[in-house]
Amino acid sequence: MDAVVSLRRMQLALIIFGLGLLGRTTAIAVDHQKAAATHWSFQPLKTPLIPAEKAKSTLDRFVAHDLKVAHLSLSPEADRPTLIRRVAFVLTGLPPTIEEIDLFVSDRKAGAYERMVDRFLASPHYGERWAKIWLDAAGYADSNGYFNADTDRPLAWRYRDYVIRSFNRDKPFDQFVREQLAGDELSGWKPGQSATPEIIELLEATHFLRNGQDGSGESDGNPDEVRTDRYYALESEMQIIGSSLLGMTVQCAKCHDHKFEPITQKDYYAFQSFLYPAFNIEKWTKPQDRIVQANLPGELESWSSADKKLDDLQTELKRDFAAWVVMNRPAGKILFADKFDGTSLQGRWSNVAPGDNTPGGTPPVNLDSTQAPGAVIKNGQLQIVEGGGSGDRWISTTQSFHWKPAATGEWIQASFDLVKRKLEDKGKDAERVAYFIALHDFDHSSQVSGGNILLDGNPAGATSVQIEYPGPSAKSIGEFTAHYKPGQNFGVRVTRTGEDKFVLEHVVDGAVEGKAIELKGADLPDGGFGFEYCCGRSFIVDNVLIESSNSADPQWLKSNEAFQTNFATKRKSFEDASKAITAKRTPKPGRIAWMSDSDPIPPEVHLLKRGNHKTPGAIVEPAFPVFFKPDRETLKVEPGLTTSGRRLAWARWITETNSPQSGLLARVTVNRIWQNCFGTGLVSTPENLGLSGAKPAHPELLEWVASEFVRGDWKQKPLLKTILMSGTFRQRSLPTTEGMARDLSNRLLWRFPLQRLDAESIRDAMLAASGVLQSKTNGPYVPTTRTPEGEITVDESKPEAFARSIFLQHRRTQVPTFLANFDAPSIVFNCTRRAQTTMPLQSLSLLNSEFALKRAEDFAARLKRECGADDAKRIDRAFLLISGKHPEPADRNIAAQFLTDQRAAYADKPDADKYAWADFCQSLFAANHFLYLQ
Amino acid sequence: MNPFQMTRRAFLSRSAGSLGGIALAHLLGPSLVSATEKPRGKAKAIISLFQHGGPSQMDLFDQKPELNKWAGKPYPGGNLEVHFDKQAGNVLEAPYKFGRHGQCGMELSELLPHTGSIADDITLIRSMNTESVDHESALRIIHTGRFLAGLPTMGSWVLYGLGSMNENLPAYVVLSDPGGLPVDGERNWSSGFLPAVYQGTPFRSGDSPVFNLKTPGKIPARARANQLEFIKHINQRHAALFPENTELTARISNFETAARMQTAVPEALDLSSESAATKKLYGLDNPVTEEYGRRCLVARRLVERGVRFVQLFLNGQPWDTHDKNAERLKGLCAKTDQPSAALVRDLKSRGLLDSTVVLWTGEFGRLPISQGKDGRDHNRHAFSLWVAGGGFKSGYVHGATDDFGYKSVSDVVNVHDFHATLLHTLGLDHRALTFPHEGRPSSLTDPDVTDAKIVPALLA
Repeated sequence: MDAVVSLRRMQLALIIFGLGLLGRTTAIAVDHQKAAATHWSFQPLKTPLIPAEKAKSTLDRFVAHDLKVAHLSLSPEADRPTLIRRVAFVLTGLPPTIEEIDLFVSDRKAGAYERMVDRFLASPHYGERWAKIWLDAAGYADSNGYFNADTDRPLAWRYRDYVIRSFNRDKPFDQFVREQLAGDELSGWKPGQSATPEIIELLEATHFLRNGQDGSGESDGNPDEVRTDRYYALESEMQIIGSSLLGMTVQCAKCHDHKFEPITQKDYYAFQSFLYPAFNIEKWTKPQDRIVQANLPGELESWSSADKKLDDLQTELKRDFAAWVVMNRPAGKILFADKFDGTSLQGRWSNVAPGDNTPGGTPPVNLDSTQAPGAVIKNGQLQIVEGGGSGDRWISTTQSFHWKPAATGEWIQASFDLVKRKLEDKGKDAERVAYFIALHDFDHSSQVSGGNILLDGNPAGATSVQIEYPGPSAKSIGEFTAHYKPGQNFGVRVTRTGEDKFVLEHVVDGAVEGKAIELKGADLPDGGFGFEYCCGRSFIVDNVLIESSNSADPQWLKSNEAFQTNFATKRKSFEDASKAITAKRTPKPGRIAWMSDSDPIPPEVHLLKRGNHKTPGAIVEPAFPVFFKPDRETLKVEPGLTTSGRRLAWARWITETNSPQSGLLARVTVNRIWQNCFGTGLVSTPENLGLSGAKPAHPELLEWVASEFVRGDWKQKPLLKTILMSGTFRQRSLPTTEGMARDLSNRLLWRFPLQRLDAESIRDAMLAASGVLQSKTNGPYVPTTRTPEGEITVDESKPEAFARSIFLQHRRTQVPTFLANFDAPSIVFNCTRRAQTTMPLQSLSLLNSEFALKRAEDFAARLKRECGADDAKRIDRAFLLISGKHPEPADRNIAAQFLTDQRAAYADKPDADKYAWADFCQSLFAANHFLYLQ
Repeated sequence: MNPFQMTRRAFLSRSAGSLGGIALAHLLGPSLVSATEKPRGKAKAIISLFQHGGPSQMDLFDQKPELNKWAGKPYPGGNLEVHFDKQAGNVLEAPYKFGRHGQCGMELSELLPHTGSIADDITLIRSMNTESVDHESALRIIHTGRFLAGLPTMGSWVLYGLGSMNENLPAYVVLSDPGGLPVDGERNWSSGFLPAVYQGTPFRSGDSPVFNLKTPGKIPARARANQLEFIKHINQRHAALFPENTELTARISNFETAARMQTAVPEALDLSSESAATKKLYGLDNPVTEEYGRRCLVARRLVERGVRFVQLFLNGQPWDTHDKNAERLKGLCAKTDQPSAALVRDLKSRGLLDSTVVLWTGEFGRLPISQGKDGRDHNRHAFSLWVAGGGFKSGYVHGATDDFGYKSVSDVVNVHDFHATLLHTLGLDHRALTFPHEGRPSSLTDPDVTDAKIVPALLA
């Protein structure tokens, strides 16, 4: 019922919108509408007449026909090693292996080429290569961009994996588009329900809508700025959809009717209104909160129980270790001990530090009370009940201690068990567990300075040590590094090291850990030990113990020494066992960074005058652009959705069979596929097939290819096979006199164009040739790092450092330098085609970068491993691995001569041969045989 | 013809070298110079002394007696656009005295005595404005003309339009603060959608100023020479198959250029041949000015060697005086005033100022009211900048703000107008300097959207 109403409303709006458009549109816009009525890419697909030329395939007939008009013809077929390298890089982005080359070159039966193409189409690496192409067009990044922080998108990889799987399974492209625009609406799934693998896939797909830059998670300006930041996320996504699916520059119509295209400003906001329910500016969800939990039945339960088991193991391990410490550590001279076995703190603890006049803080801590701020004994433990509010306060021992041991080597230490960092299981963990020594003065009334040494125990980072805290004289004197995690015993020890020299050391589980901080006697007045109350941090402790060294007793000295030795060994094995448990942990499954409507009832969407959200204009209803002749369309909002249904309606519209808009989508898509086979699209402006876009080379061919694609159920693999089987693709790349004279730029394709490999293919092929390529196929990204010099690299000591480039972290501000030098983009909106530059920075990175040097060593080691010491064999194999071909005799000679020269150049080194081979291998990475596809 | 292909061929065919850029002007040809706005083009290079954070115009360049009259009282001029809207306070006094400098009588703060000494050589614009009160977006507007991250910077556009004059040095050099990156990091010199060849190259201190510039220590000179010869040899055999392909020959010669750069870059950074007087001029004898002075002097050496665009940055965003505005300005001026002025004087005495533009600016200005106790918040409605040489007027003050310095009111120059004018001084028509992107010709000023216009009054 609802659906019918909104359908009516939309249709009505459409009529009004159409009238309104005619009433107010400028003369230029009217001209654009007229031009659009006949513009080639805005029409439904037509199957063109197939030219009569004789040729290997139907595709070739179109090419041959246009070539004939220009008095040209296709070049002869390239040799087999060239063909397999071409096919391997186009389909998988990797070089063919030696086995693959052998299999193809030695296959003398008919159909060898087709079988080879089929093998690469079936390779799992196919999906990795073609996913990367789509991810660039879709604006994929692992970070939010926008602000300086360029914050992480920790779950974006699930969308990347969804895209890889979709390509490997050859999902029909129209379905792929619908899933990405409206997977949530297609799934019928509601948060909280259990999911199926299909549903999970649909939810992952919606991350497409989150690919734009989005700073709304970090907005800190005034309310107008916050709205601007949100609109940017929405507008970025519109721009991505425009260039990747429609081949149109929709963004130009944000402020006024498009100057070159038939898109009016009203069209822009009508389009925006389809997305708006998911990007509702008034009911905004920050990107870090757009997370949904979707699990297969039982998945969460089995993970929880496994995780619980690991928790139990960890707890047991800690308990054993702590028990061992308690058993074996020789206690010092006990100055104070509280196991909190009684019912009251009175007498031993106070909210006034010894020597002070007034309580530490307002309101003071309530002893034996759960009323915050309170301190109370419960279950034989001390609860620090901190109730928030501002200002510091404390409880302290009533007893005062001498914190300056009398003789060099003597010490005094305070310690306690940290039981929990919250009072109730549901509560928030305390961000700090802070305590004091030498506590004597809250309000600076004391004549004695120093003391009040705060240990700001930090579970997540370093523990800051402050002196004379709190107050204006407070200053930091250093840091300890151990993390304050429950289940361990923490404390500090002061040791006299000289005349007026003391050191403060951190004591964890009874033993000194990390670096010491130096102190003077004046820093250590007599005073109590206490816990800090601040900032809503409640926690539970036990076994407060103040003790001092007992070096007067030789027996004690001896057992203490033995303990320290055993402790080191014991702790090592404890830590190893802990690490082993941690390694077994897996993240909670089923978290998906998705996109869905904030509300099933669509909000009002306004046209924004001059594109400015501060000047909203008339309300705009969802409608399709007039130049697609939408009066012949029916706008369907499906019943029974928990969302507005708008995105699904748009997704169904754009993919509707035989429509002008699906014709445009098919043309944009096959053009992108063509571009990644031949280096340039049939339309050289893949992001613009509109009135202002480039004219297609071979227009009839583009029309035919697009029709074939749609007829073939929008499947990419059969289309690629058609292209790769053609004589056009299999031509040689060598120049011909006629070709050079009549079509210098090879726009008509009289030869296969020589192409430099893209950045990822170069890196991946270097990893493959050197034999270190790892077989990561999915999962969280491999992090990139910024070296102190500012170079962006992958830390090779980390696991998965040698995975394919698609699996590297795609942080907008952190494109690996090696890839960036070879034109890998930093994603702003998206990237539908790349520059192909030639510059000295590329030469420098091939000659001097760590990555090139290391791969050269790996490559040399591989040659030796596989060929032994035989120079000729190694040279042959090296050429085969980098170019797919055996070297020609002249190349062999040049190589042999180089190796001889290079051994001489390294004659003073014992491993001259190794150096020479590494240099040889590195040189081959700098060879154009490697860098280019011919 | 597809302009992208043309462009690509253009730099491929010419890329006999240069880390930075390759001249394209000859290929884009007359279209760069439109009939209506004929550029004069005295300037060949730009040095941008970028002042991250938004220097306070009313404390440094734009005297406002009203501020001190109203100090501590509510701002009488109505609503202000405030970034941190919850910390807005009353009118904040501008404590530093202003004095007249040079024959032109330019009024400047007592914190800028050295800038005062070059008053007759600079144009001071008091009526700038921009479109964002947020650092990052304002930085992008002044560097790239657009709000969003990742677009080509002014330096990249200049390089794309003019190419390189010394192929052994990067044509767009960034001298960033040894103390750390500025806010927005490398994006401040990104080439965006322009090819990476046009990006700024940061020169680091130390013996490898450019990534991968140095031959690894384990490779002796002879071995490297052999290797370069071997690479050349096999690549020539490959290139022989494609004699028409200039990209392949360019790639071969780039290895030689790379080798030449290994000596050219350290030479440009070596100050040992500079006289004691020059070093003193830049404040190299004073620990306060030494570091900034060193980079200003390096900037001059780079421009002398044909570098097109040099940009100095500061660590973080030091001019972002949200608290202790007056106190912080004192320290920042002590560090930057003398070296900045020295650069202008030195260029002038060497006859390089006519062909070099020196630009001193931040991304926006500050508010007349306080933020918290003693800070000033961001202001996009008014800021001041100065520019010298390269065809800009000398001893000239342009435009004015209202009585409180909140808003530029007369002869207002927005960032896009300024970009158009700056390109003009280099002989580049901002309307014609375009690159196809996102389906349309994109430019630094995007005049169809911003309506950017050259400001003739700024030009000599």
